[in-house]
Amino acid sequence: MRKIKSIKIVSIMAILTLLLAACGSNENSSGDGDGGKKKDPKDTQVVFIPKMTGNAFFESGNDGAQEMAKKVGFKVKYDGAPEGTVANQVQIINSAVNSGADAIAISSVSSDGLNQALKKALDAGVKVVTWDSDVDPKYRSVYVDQGTPDILGKMLIDMAAQQMDKPDEAKKIAWFYSSPTVPDQNSWVKAANQYIKEKYPKWEVVTTQFGDANEQKSLQVGESILSSYPDIDAVICPDSTALPAMAQAAENKGLKADDVIITGFASPNSMRQFIENGTINNHGLWDVKDQGALAVYVAYWLAQGKELKVGDSLDVPDMGSVKVEPNTIQGYDYTADDSGIIVLPERIVFTKDNTNDYDF
Amino acid sequence: MPRVRKIFKQREFRTFLFLVLLFMVVGFINSDYLSLQNIDRSLKSSLLYIVLAVGMTFVLLTGNLDISVGGTLGLSAAVCGTILRDGGNIFLAVITAILIGAIIGLINGFGVIKLKISSFIMTLAILSITRVVQVIYTDGKWVENIPANFKELSNIDIFGINLLSFIVIVGVIFVQLYLSRSSKGRYYNAIGDNAGGAISLGIPVNRYIAYSFVISGICASLAGLIFVSQIGFVSTNAGAGIELTVIAACVLGGVSLIGGIGTVVGAGLGAIILTSINSALVFMKVPAFWNDTISGSLLIIIVVIDALLAFHANKKAKKLRLNARVL
Amino acid sequence: MLNKIPKWNLTLFVLIIAEMIVFGMINPRFWNVTILLNSFNDFIAISIIGFFVTLVVITGGIDISGVSIIGLTSVVTGLLSQVVGINIWGSILCAILIGGLCGLLNGVLIAYGRVQAMVITLGGMLLYSGIAIVLVGLSGVSTYEGISGFPEDFSSIANGEVMGIPHSVILFIIMFLIAYILLHRTKYGRYIYLTGINQNTADYSGINTKRIIASSYVLSGLSAGIAGVVLTSYLGSARADYGSEYLMPILTVVVLGGTLITGGKGGVVGTALASILLGFMQIGLQMAGVSTQYIGLATGVLLIVSVAFLGINPEFRLNMKRILTQKQHIGG
Repeated sequence: MRKIKSIKIVSIMAILTLLLAACGSNENSSGDGDGGKKKDPKDTQVVFIPKMTGNAFFESGNDGAQEMAKKVGFKVKYDGAPEGTVANQVQIINSAVNSGADAIAISSVSSDGLNQALKKALDAGVKVVTWDSDVDPKYRSVYVDQGTPDILGKMLIDMAAQQMDKPDEAKKIAWFYSSPTVPDQNSWVKAANQYIKEKYPKWEVVTTQFGDANEQKSLQVGESILSSYPDIDAVICPDSTALPAMAQAAENKGLKADDVIITGFASPNSMRQFIENGTINNHGLWDVKDQGALAVYVAYWLAQGKELKVGDSLDVPDMGSVKVEPNTIQGYDYTADDSGIIVLPERIVFTKDNTNDYDF
Repeated sequence: MPRVRKIFKQREFRTFLFLVLLFMVVGFINSDYLSLQNIDRSLKSSLLYIVLAVGMTFVLLTGNLDISVGGTLGLSAAVCGTILRDGGNIFLAVITAILIGAIIGLINGFGVIKLKISSFIMTLAILSITRVVQVIYTDGKWVENIPANFKELSNIDIFGINLLSFIVIVGVIFVQLYLSRSSKGRYYNAIGDNAGGAISLGIPVNRYIAYSFVISGICASLAGLIFVSQIGFVSTNAGAGIELTVIAACVLGGVSLIGGIGTVVGAGLGAIILTSINSALVFMKVPAFWNDTISGSLLIIIVVIDALLAFHANKKAKKLRLNARVL
Repeated sequence: MLNKIPKWNLTLFVLIIAEMIVFGMINPRFWNVTILLNSFNDFIAISIIGFFVTLVVITGGIDISGVSIIGLTSVVTGLLSQVVGINIWGSILCAILIGGLCGLLNGVLIAYGRVQAMVITLGGMLLYSGIAIVLVGLSGVSTYEGISGFPEDFSSIANGEVMGIPHSVILFIIMFLIAYILLHRTKYGRYIYLTGINQNTADYSGINTKRIIASSYVLSGLSAGIAGVVLTSYLGSARADYGSEYLMPILTVVVLGGTLITGGKGGVVGTALASILLGFMQIGLQMAGVSTQYIGLATGVLLIVSVAFLGINPEFRLNMKRILTQKQHIGG
């Protein structure tokens, strides 16, 4: 009896599926017809994809993107999942393609896990631009780069070194960021360690800790670092959750910037109070609003069928002219005419003097 | 003497022994771990989990589950933080947060009692909903720049001990006494142990189940307040995944997931053990990528050893009982 | 008991049809068979594990370690085939077997160790993902770049098509059939139900409940292994952090499918329908313009509404009747 019922259910499903197939193919063909028509640039849809939602850094990127879209006159949809995983991003890319987006601008959580999904997007005619965290250059047109790992790694070390009296002597430093699996932070740390070996060979990295981008855990690990290594000179935190947590841990212990150097990458809004009360002296980032705006503008440009070749300059509203560099500056082997990197002109070091000029 | 032996037989004592063992092992490797400062700090870090575990215990005792605590924590923390950031009165922020916890607890209770939805499903659904409500409320942004005076609250020390820790511990002891001594308090255990029997005894089962969810919700929002004060900023994912840790803490402390067994003291000890493992690994200078492996193994080992001990204790007790009856 | 299942499944089926109509009306692009069939790719891992976690839940237990086993098997597949150089198919087999081993560890501790399932599998969740990270760390492969370079054959496991139907749909049907036959057509399946309804009684009637429970965890572990291989193939990269976001969806799918968390009731048909329901709902909402981070709200509401109002529980209907008639009485 039940068997018959299940068979009935399955057969009904099968028939409905076939019916939908018939409808679907009709929709498909008429849909294709529409695609042939000329599209109004105002209807260009760019899907702006962060690594994860709910993170101040990416939200600011989106703010910049939305402002640019309003200024120039196209649509930007912000789509992401609270968990920054590869599978989630693939699903969002697929959804963007299915919904008929013209271009996507994505900050990727994995350097190669998105390749298949991006390939499908490219095949469907969707333009792919990356920002903040890149993918395999074969599968995107332009990467809006905040800085190569060498630039950023050096920046992290310099921010710490300039607070030391005698940086050439033996120092103990620690790394504290999100996890061993995120591509960007790990690439900066790797480059920074290389830089340390060359410039400050007497420095010792006593430990590398991870906070999983979880504030409670980051606070606890931060406090443990300070307790386990009481004579530590600097803790560098290239993660937007680890840095505020580390600063809070130092503040809880009553430590100031003279006692232990704490620096890294995080948004100015989250670190301002620590600069103002003396717990830290500086920290860095780049204008992620500009980065988001630039990324969607490039995506919009490409979505209109215009080209961007290596060596070209692009005029961006309110931002001036940016140049497309070859992929080799980031260390890639793959080069092609239409595949390049646009590097943000500057990164920002925030101190007492300029932190109030920024709001993100 | 027999009273002392009774204490030793308690499940909670075994939990306490594990805690002491943990500290001793780590202290052996790095004596800084045993410093008073560090113990004070470990306690501070576990306050959040202790408060959550206490609330969760109420629900677990009645035989239910509350997976929504993480979402309640996040939402209360976000609301409290926003009120404070925008210059609101501290009392307003605190009371609003507690209200939120109570309301979510009531909704959970309603779903479980009136709509007869299993607590697992109901609280799972509420978890998803509160998470998204928090995102919508904060517009996806972090709550930052919380006034320093609120953050200071969690740092006040008296006689060298953190005031908040002191309050929480005293609170746990009071709750423990309430649950084990007062007649109303024992209802929770009774309901979880045998709901039918409890009804026959005239215990208003539904009302107390509702109370348990409301208490759990309020504890979650209290934990949210502690979160705001200790951590100082509220991200949109605050409290994500914390419910599993809390359940683990309760079980470590001897609270049964089926209901009727357990104490808040045990749950609190379990919470301290779990959070101490995190900092212990940093102190032992273990490379950080071993963290999860070690935490997971420790959890399994502790629970298995405990189950074996309990089994043997039971067997012995059964034998004694049998002998007493036969002879 | 067994009569209740088809009714709930029918409800789920109707909901699927309803949502297909509604989403299609909001955005006609939804009514595209290719898109719908390809969406299986995104929830296939959840479904595969969901089928066998259903078995575990029916015995009265729960298994949340599957999400970490995904990452572990992915890393093992990657390491064995790319670093150690073993043939890809051998690596896959090893990886899946390791998944089964993890399940075995879970099962033995839970069934024979008399420990609560949630805690053991929680510890397992930490342990297995920890092992995955340690393996990557010790092997010298960079932890943040996934292991890639898999052969074309491997990638086609998840990405290929047969007569226009994506492999993931076929995999879905195969795993469903395996789970269904195991559960509803064999003695083993019946023992699973009986163990869940009342373990003591089942014991006394001669069923080796401990073996049944342990084996259900082994199956769950194996299924997680398979899901891990499929995910690795789909993404073309082996990483230790796969699967962590699947915990709630897996539990949601099992519970929404009508399986009682206390055990003894439920079935894989419900789990299958629930997976499709949720999977389509996600792309439907996305196509309707809802940003993905808000979809959790819909899932939660759906869970409550469907369980409460479409009455998995007859007691609810009785309660509702009582409330309604009481109201009438008071009103009249």
